[in-house]
Amino acid sequence: MSGEEEARNQQTPIAEVREAVKRFAATEGGVITALDGVSLKVQPREFVTLLGPSGCGKTTLLRVISGLEELDAGEVLIAGEPMTTVPPHRRPVNTVFQNYALFPHLSVGDNVGYGLDVAGVPRRQRNTRVGEVLERIGLGGFEPRRPDQLSGGQRQRVALARAIINRPSLLLLDEPLSALDRNLRQSMQLELKTLQHDLGISFLFVTHDQEEALTMSDRVAVLNKGRIEQVGTPEAHYHRPATRFVAEFIGDGALFSGRIEGPTEDPVLVTGDGLRLAVALGTTVNQVATLLLRPEHLEAAPEAPDAAFGVIEVRLKQSVFLGASRKFVCCLANGATVTAAPTGAGAQALSRVAPGELVRLAYRRDQPHLILGADDGT
Amino acid sequence: MARRGDRRRLALLLGPVTLFLGTCFIGPMAVMIVFSFLEPALYGGVEWSFYHLNYGRILGWADSEWESFDPVYAAIFLRSVRLALTNVVILLVICYPAALWVSGLSARWRTLLVFLTTLPFFVSLVVRLFIWVLILRPTGFLNSSLIGLGLISEPIDIIFTETAVLIGMAYVLLPFMFLPVYASVEKLDRSLIEASSDLGGSPLKTFFRVTLPLTLPGIAAGAVLVFIPSLGNFIVPDLLGGAKVLMIGNLIEQQFLSARNWPFGSALSVMIMVVMFVLIIFYLRQIGRQGANQ
Amino acid sequence: MRRTWVKRVLAVHGALFLLFIYAPIVMVVVYSFNSNPINMMIWSGFTFDWYWTIFGYPTQLNEQTLYVDSTDRLLAAVQNSLIVATSTTTISTVLGTMTALALYRYRFRAQRFYQGLLYMPMVMPDIVLGIALLVFFVSFGMALGLISIIIGHCTFLISYVFVVVSARLAGMDDTLEQASADLGANEWVTFRRITLPQILPGVIGGALLAFIISMDDLVITYFISGVDSTTLPVFIYGMLRRGVKPEINAIATIMLMLSFTIATLGLYFRRRH
Repeated sequence: MSGEEEARNQQTPIAEVREAVKRFAATEGGVITALDGVSLKVQPREFVTLLGPSGCGKTTLLRVISGLEELDAGEVLIAGEPMTTVPPHRRPVNTVFQNYALFPHLSVGDNVGYGLDVAGVPRRQRNTRVGEVLERIGLGGFEPRRPDQLSGGQRQRVALARAIINRPSLLLLDEPLSALDRNLRQSMQLELKTLQHDLGISFLFVTHDQEEALTMSDRVAVLNKGRIEQVGTPEAHYHRPATRFVAEFIGDGALFSGRIEGPTEDPVLVTGDGLRLAVALGTTVNQVATLLLRPEHLEAAPEAPDAAFGVIEVRLKQSVFLGASRKFVCCLANGATVTAAPTGAGAQALSRVAPGELVRLAYRRDQPHLILGADDGT
Repeated sequence: MARRGDRRRLALLLGPVTLFLGTCFIGPMAVMIVFSFLEPALYGGVEWSFYHLNYGRILGWADSEWESFDPVYAAIFLRSVRLALTNVVILLVICYPAALWVSGLSARWRTLLVFLTTLPFFVSLVVRLFIWVLILRPTGFLNSSLIGLGLISEPIDIIFTETAVLIGMAYVLLPFMFLPVYASVEKLDRSLIEASSDLGGSPLKTFFRVTLPLTLPGIAAGAVLVFIPSLGNFIVPDLLGGAKVLMIGNLIEQQFLSARNWPFGSALSVMIMVVMFVLIIFYLRQIGRQGANQ
Repeated sequence: MRRTWVKRVLAVHGALFLLFIYAPIVMVVVYSFNSNPINMMIWSGFTFDWYWTIFGYPTQLNEQTLYVDSTDRLLAAVQNSLIVATSTTTISTVLGTMTALALYRYRFRAQRFYQGLLYMPMVMPDIVLGIALLVFFVSFGMALGLISIIIGHCTFLISYVFVVVSARLAGMDDTLEQASADLGANEWVTFRRITLPQILPGVIGGALLAFIISMDDLVITYFISGVDSTTLPVFIYGMLRRGVKPEINAIATIMLMLSFTIATLGLYFRRRH
């Protein structure tokens, strides 16, 4: 298939960012590159999350799409239309701001109806739709209230209602849950997901919380220092991180960088300080790579492990009770920490080990993900 | 958000004010400076030729048939500076403890007292000074009360003295010292003072080692804000100082309204302006340096 | 122990501080009702006569003790002051707000210059600005009158409005304007529906401040008012220069009450928002 055919087979993305570059003048002088050649597509009815630490450029990317920031290079397309010369108020996207940005001098009803009002929708029709939307998000009858009479969670809902009332093709959400407490945040995550499904519009969601990203998204884009490290499903990010940064940012696990050596029937990764870790059969030798050992990969080693297992000898530091399960924090000979979270019999075997004792852990050598290529040092 | 059309909007927003302040503020300042270098002519006119003796009359190099150096001008200038400085010190002594006191009260009382302190600022200057004329006059409230109480038998002369001028200036300019000092005292982290006394510092030591250095910016701002209007004041010395306590402001007024020597009056004004600029530049430098240190 | 002692001294000082500020004011108000026509400072009974006098009503007071020789001139001064203050407030509120918006919204090279330019009239001593304006108006042949006073007041009142509105703008959440644009409002609608209501308390506060200062300005007006354009403060100043007579007490009391009312109103507006 040629590139052209492939493009025709796909739907037009709701939003597309091509090679976006955005620089800011830093207050101390110099230049901060917030976006360094970012490309991303959001498909119809898709829930995409931009995940990354603070300062990685995720909010900037959102603002570039809504038009609140202008690009230095590259372009933004919404529904196939280039947006370079389109001001924010003419773009068919709406934003839920991190601080909600509710207009303090307007009532809840007027806040929610603002978008319809400025678009010239007559009052009666507007009131009906405001009522519907408020009903939909569970704030029916809140119209006459003032924003300062609402709780944090209610404000968040009003901000959401205000942003969806115009029926945007794409809703941009800038860390909308970060100000809520943990319980509320978790229930809102599910609600948002349901809402997105019911409305049938695309969400582009910004967060620094990996759990939030994994729970809600169809696809996740991990950003770091203005670049996209990896785009894909939450599962792909968890099981097959493309870079060391992604592996560290998402999920728990221990990372070992080194060189693949040994015979092809028993390849091992040798770290700088001489630790030898078995890797999947068939791995090309004589290359640098990073091995990611997730806690669920590790269990107590059987008496005589066969060739399908890799074995490491560790000293148990701490056994942590997690409710349904337990995790075991262990220390390797070189001082590195690995955590094991085995299930069933493996857990019972480890529970009998006292802290400070030596213990052998095993993992199926084909399970841990191997990131090929040089350590990017992050 | 730099968008097309921004330049036009900016020009529309700033155009009128640029035009207005350009002609009606910078213009007059420039004309006044030019005037201060012109030769005074008969009957209040000016000769359009460069002339530096307006300054010479004040600073000491004038000697022509028209003008000669008269130490009285320099003396008036120095008296103005001295009175302005004294006023700064008086207001500091009055306002600093008051600010400390107010900042220690509850939030409600603090708001109320700051309001009460600034309220007289909104009362007409003439009215505020008139009150002090009433009090300090020979037949005024002070003398009547003192005689009534039998403390004195003859009215004491207090109006038309430097004391009267200082009282009036302090009364009129009080908020200019109180507000900046209060702002810096209120911002002060109370735990620092507690920490100091916790570490064994006596109240006096704590005050000089912690409180005073930390509130220095407020004191400096108050000093500048009080010094500048004190220096150029002419209403207060006119009403409370009379002919005996002439300040530079009265001298300027005389040049314009009775002596009709506009270039000389302009030169005196320019000198006040120079003092003001030197002070402000010095002040901004200090503030800038402190900002860099923190 | 030591600390309560310090606190007590401070409290005594605070009481004296308030006494210094308010005792003279209370005194004027009280003595404005004193019926003694010979010595103002000796209480001889309660009267409203001084108030009647200034408004030109007949009283039982001896003509010679009187001082407002013409109520018409007083009222003319009040009228002049009101004309000047209203015009000045309008012009400086509009210009000051525009400038504050421009300097808040846009980043440009001359920004620091404009900031300096706007602070300068505020720190300039009155007398310097007053005589500079006088020299300027006279050398360009402009007649001194209400117009020259209005121009003169605007040169420094724009700055006051600018400072008050700028403070309000700095405290405004700028995502509100972004949210408005995001919801489809163009810049003019955003300004009218979001920005203006947000900064309105600042604009009103700045306008009230400008009005009070304009009503009260003596020094600058003194230099640039013409013969027929005396404002109230200049009129009273003239009266005071000729000597002190009791009905000034009454005028002062009325002005005090007016100023207090406007200032309290201003505070009320600021706190409500």
